[in-house]
Amino acid sequence: MSKSNSLLKLSSALIVALSLSACANEPQSEKQQKHSSAASTTTSSLAPAVPDYHPISIKKGGFNLGKEASKEEIAGWHIEVGHGHNLPPGEGSAADGEDLFDEQCSSCHGSFGEGVGRNPVLAGGEGTLSDKLKPERTVGSYWPYASTLLDYTHRAMPFPSAQSLTWDETWSLSAYVLYLNDIIEDEEFVFNAESYKDIHMPNEDGFVRDKRPDTHNTRCMKDCKDPASLNVKTALLGYGSGAEDVVEETAVVKGHEVGQKVYDATCRLCHGNGLAGAPKLDDVLTWENRLKQGLSQVHKHAIDGFKGQYGVMPPRGGNMELTDEEVKAAVDFMLKDIEK
Amino acid sequence: MSDEKPIVENNTETLLKTQSETKTSRRKFLGQAAAVSTVVASGSVAASNLPPNVPAWQKTLGKPVNSNPYGQPSKYEADVIRKRVPWLTPDSIASISFTPLAEIKGMISPNGLAFERDHGGLPTIDPKQHRLMIHGLVEKPIILTMEDIQRFPNVSRIHFIECPANSAMEWKGPQVGRLQFTHGMTNCCEWTGVPLKYILEEVGIKPEGKWLYAEGADSASMSRSIPMEKAMDDTLVVFGQNGEALRPEQGYPLRLLTPGWEGNTSIKWLRRLEVTAEPSYQREETSKYTDLINPNDPDKKDLIGKAYMFSWIMEAKAIITFPCPEKPLKGHGKYVMNGLAWTGTGKIKHVDVSFDGGINWQEAELNGLVLDKCWTRFSIPFEWNGEELLIQSRATGEDGYVQPTLAQLRKARGVSSIYHNNAIHTWKINKNGEVESVQV
Repeated sequence: MSKSNSLLKLSSALIVALSLSACANEPQSEKQQKHSSAASTTTSSLAPAVPDYHPISIKKGGFNLGKEASKEEIAGWHIEVGHGHNLPPGEGSAADGEDLFDEQCSSCHGSFGEGVGRNPVLAGGEGTLSDKLKPERTVGSYWPYASTLLDYTHRAMPFPSAQSLTWDETWSLSAYVLYLNDIIEDEEFVFNAESYKDIHMPNEDGFVRDKRPDTHNTRCMKDCKDPASLNVKTALLGYGSGAEDVVEETAVVKGHEVGQKVYDATCRLCHGNGLAGAPKLDDVLTWENRLKQGLSQVHKHAIDGFKGQYGVMPPRGGNMELTDEEVKAAVDFMLKDIEK
Repeated sequence: MSDEKPIVENNTETLLKTQSETKTSRRKFLGQAAAVSTVVASGSVAASNLPPNVPAWQKTLGKPVNSNPYGQPSKYEADVIRKRVPWLTPDSIASISFTPLAEIKGMISPNGLAFERDHGGLPTIDPKQHRLMIHGLVEKPIILTMEDIQRFPNVSRIHFIECPANSAMEWKGPQVGRLQFTHGMTNCCEWTGVPLKYILEEVGIKPEGKWLYAEGADSASMSRSIPMEKAMDDTLVVFGQNGEALRPEQGYPLRLLTPGWEGNTSIKWLRRLEVTAEPSYQREETSKYTDLINPNDPDKKDLIGKAYMFSWIMEAKAIITFPCPEKPLKGHGKYVMNGLAWTGTGKIKHVDVSFDGGINWQEAELNGLVLDKCWTRFSIPFEWNGEELLIQSRATGEDGYVQPTLAQLRKARGVSSIYHNNAIHTWKINKNGEVESVQV
């Protein structure tokens, strides 16, 4: 075969126009149909071969891209728990979960699942869903399936260290949260894939598939309502008594100091859990020891950051949005019960 | 730019300071929020820079070309930024920022201004180490690299994203006095990516595969269940945003995009797709992002205390972006009212505007491109002579759906829903030209 023939053959093989049966109706894909090939730039003493375009047809699924996923690879990532399927191995009881909950969960969710600050309330709220103004959506009052509790606890909790819980711990903590809601009554009840079917969430039938549109406005253009019916409520004057409830629901809890707000939003992650060597609020000895250097020095470390013998304090607790005054207020809030 | 300080403080910080200094009530705090909103992001005006004088910047050389290898806005735009409402979420990690809608100059939200909602903070992901796994009820489970994904045919489409919690604070009464916070949980970008159907065809879906579970690589492993019809329709696996790689806040290096649907179904930092027979009932489609309803409608007593699940579509919504609390009227005369409208069901067909609180309406003009599931600009000229006005806008989709009044929404769902508030919004123009957020 002559050199030119072999080049031509190479060109034909490499220079193709993609005609994708899978996207025949996609005008955008046309832009990509012409690909030049390295072969056409190969130097040759002969006149360059005119590319001979032969559209190819890639059938559905014919790209053959990527690699096949192995069972082991899938197993490591396959974390979701479905209602009655994909239930994980392991088991645990409320009794097993209690200490773990106190240790890893209560700083945000409260010892009884009542929620600290504005963190989610896990227990209670039974019978409140039909309350027009203040329904309480908790695991017990609202969540339809216990699988979601297992799933979310394992994938995303504790908030600062996702996917750190074993499946036994996940079953135990879930059992404990259900116990706090009186859904599991026996603290020794062994919660596992076998006993899952015995657990029924109170609000399992509380959900309906959406059937929107559920409003039917019309394009009225003239005299669409009685001018006398206009009742202008300016921002903050609210809608009947409801506005007060919105304030409660979405706002800073009234009467709380700025320091607590900052603490809740930024500091509690570590100082509530004792992460990264952070002293917890009730660690009186450590705080008293630190205060020996003076409150202004503690403020300074909180603002500028500090690396000590036991842990690391990131500048402004890692939240650079905070002003000096806010950081100081948070420190003062945390030390409010410590003798200075 | 980096060595220049913004001339106006971030208003969020200003607000925080305002609050911390005065330890005021929340009502006063919000009142102040509205008051400081009129701070103008420009310096004082020097007569020496005005005609007939030649301005200072014309008499000296400018900075070298490429002084900012990645471009930055002018320092005079320093206040045009995303902002948070500090008290809205328990922490600043599982939180949200708002798009400054009053400052958007078109139908696209710039990448730096597109609102961000994270459920477990913003991860930093090396694209070389990022993988997309597709498995479940498929013939051939696969793992794709970013390079693999970009070898599939890709398309570019402009779509809005809206968090279903947009306007959530307004269900019970007018709460937040600024456009950025009443409506800023939306963005609209050109998204470039692979139609998901190509990838699903590659793995071969078994007949019993009716749902798609999608999961992110963030600390929340943010996840939703999506019906196969949507996955095979217009859903994209996106790697490009407004001509560049996705921003981290939008899911770098890879996100799902489910056009017109609840923003959080467009899973960011997409790492896994599993074909399933049933929905997975994730936290973000049971505990959250469901609409608890207590209808004010005697005919719907059976729905009291029930909740709508899988309310995917973001229904039609229009909002006036000028005038608005951040952009008051400056004196009598002629103005052009501007706004944005969108619907998750398709194209916007009409936007009507009222100046009298919804008694009479007139049709506004749609400006520029009118695209599927996309922000659409509207405008109408008007003359203002100092009278009080109650201005509203009302979107109609090509499907005939007309944006509801707040009263209609409350009749259908009560006020205990958090999500999907697409009610007609009212701005009140006061005699001094300032604009307040009100309800009528």
